[in-house]
Amino acid sequence: MSRGLSFYLRIYVKILVQDLKSKMSYRADFIISMVGMILTNVVGFVSFKIMFSNFSSINGWSYNEMLFLYGFSLIAITPMQCMLDNNWSLRMNVYNGDFIKYCFRPINLFFYYESEVFDAKGLGQFGFGIATLVYAWNKLGLPVTFFSIIKTVIFAITASLFMMAMQNAAAATCFWIDRSFYVLDLTFRLREYAKYPVTIFNPVFRFLFTFLFPIAFIAYYPSLVILRPDKVPMLSWISPVIGVLWFYMSYRIWMRGARKYNGTGS
Amino acid sequence: MENSIVLKNITKEFKVLNRHEGLKGSIRDLFSRDYKTVTAVDNVSLEIKKGEIVGYLGPNGAGKSTTIKIMTGILKPTSGEIMVNGKTPWEDRTSNCEKIGVVFGQRSQLWWSLPLVESFKLLKDIYMIEDKNYNDMLDFYASIVDLEPLLHKPVRQMSLGQRTLSDILASFLHSPEVVFLDEPTIGLDVAMKSNIRDLIAAINEQKNTTVILTTHDMGDVDALCKRIVIIDKGKMLYDNDMEHLKKVFGSYRTLSLRIRSSQMTDDFITSLEERFSPYGISISTENNWVSLVINEDRIKVMDVLSGVQENGSIKDMKLEEISTEEVIKRIYTEGI
Repeated sequence: MSRGLSFYLRIYVKILVQDLKSKMSYRADFIISMVGMILTNVVGFVSFKIMFSNFSSINGWSYNEMLFLYGFSLIAITPMQCMLDNNWSLRMNVYNGDFIKYCFRPINLFFYYESEVFDAKGLGQFGFGIATLVYAWNKLGLPVTFFSIIKTVIFAITASLFMMAMQNAAAATCFWIDRSFYVLDLTFRLREYAKYPVTIFNPVFRFLFTFLFPIAFIAYYPSLVILRPDKVPMLSWISPVIGVLWFYMSYRIWMRGARKYNGTGS
Repeated sequence: MENSIVLKNITKEFKVLNRHEGLKGSIRDLFSRDYKTVTAVDNVSLEIKKGEIVGYLGPNGAGKSTTIKIMTGILKPTSGEIMVNGKTPWEDRTSNCEKIGVVFGQRSQLWWSLPLVESFKLLKDIYMIEDKNYNDMLDFYASIVDLEPLLHKPVRQMSLGQRTLSDILASFLHSPEVVFLDEPTIGLDVAMKSNIRDLIAAINEQKNTTVILTTHDMGDVDALCKRIVIIDKGKMLYDNDMEHLKKVFGSYRTLSLRIRSSQMTDDFITSLEERFSPYGISISTENNWVSLVINEDRIKVMDVLSGVQENGSIKDMKLEEISTEEVIKRIYTEGI
């Protein structure tokens, strides 16, 4: 008996469908959280717009280019928000010993843990991101070719890998330290800076945001490939590889923590 | 009969940081490499045959959980050999997990928001249970419990009893060789406890599944286990038949008496101790209660009662079978 990719995909879809069904049965809860999500995005967008009514460009980036980055970052954080939402509960599960109950299934522990929760709200954000991106794309008069769309998809996936990696690694700190909430919260807040070109920050932060908290890879580096095709830095081109590496590393950290964990007794 | 689980000289040690007191101490701890070794399981050997129900007892912190974690492959023992279903669990956790089931009394492993039947279907996929086996199992379940009302209820809406029942059913669904039950009846009412015990007994009989039962409830042990293993401070204290234990401790009773407060003097206690210590009676006091652990082979409860009454006036009394904790304490202090 082997459990390959198709096995995990099938299980994931089944859990997802069941989970959505049960969430819909709590209609008020579902609608309110959806509305809340939309409002959050609208507010975020409005403040973005207000800021830009005072500047015509930021460090050589026009309003529409910034809008592109904004939309791209929304899309990039969606997979993390939808699929890794259970990472937020990890700390409590570890703290009160509940985590042990996930350890007895003959499937990948990380998969099993994360598959338990799917945050459907993230999908609304995804739609918002797509709309923003399409609008900016149009305004900028970027060409719509097969190649440019493929590039966008690949780099959006890359960007989401970075976001997921950061969140995994941050959540996994709870296996070692007590007050890990702040680490996770900090990482989550850092995503706010993802929608700005990394060149606006001073060199220290630029370095930090590229190599330690790689939020520059969430919108800036991948967007350059589409927005400034004539001067794409090396880091952009190799970002898919770095993204996969980061994600794999975060997964290893998570699993190492889980293995180190052995419950609080009972 | 073949062995389901074999442990040979299993020892598990943990390294724990020596913590120091006070602010200065905690700063020292930050940089300290001062570890001490704690032995959670100390040279435990055990053989459990296929189809046995073994009661695995011991006070909190005795090393029960650690042993269970070793048997389920989550922990690797520091030394010793272990075989579960003919394989070393920690070497291949995944394949070991296919053949075991685990239930925690307070921690449901089912999908919280899904109706039970959907959880079952997911488990069917996860454990790759064949359609026929799956359907047979559901039919079998329907024949021993009232399954229908449970199946379509989200786990979230279930009572604790229903949830425990569902968890147990789920843990046997993939026809595991061994099932570990960790305090399955904790927090349940008497009727539900008895339902759960009947269920476990029925599945064990039908499927010949080995069951390792961890519990503090002697009722569970009495109803299900023919054999018990007692562990304390990581060491094996007792491994024998239930019958044997009953023979040894069955004649013990705990007699608790409430004495008029004016008579509860040290002199009174001393006089009782002098009088009854030749019969091996141990005496403890709490508020106005005097508890005497009596071995009825040596002296009758009635004789003790009248003996006490000569010197003091009894306001209230309780007579209890010896508790698990007391048995364990006795085994520990007196040996067997």
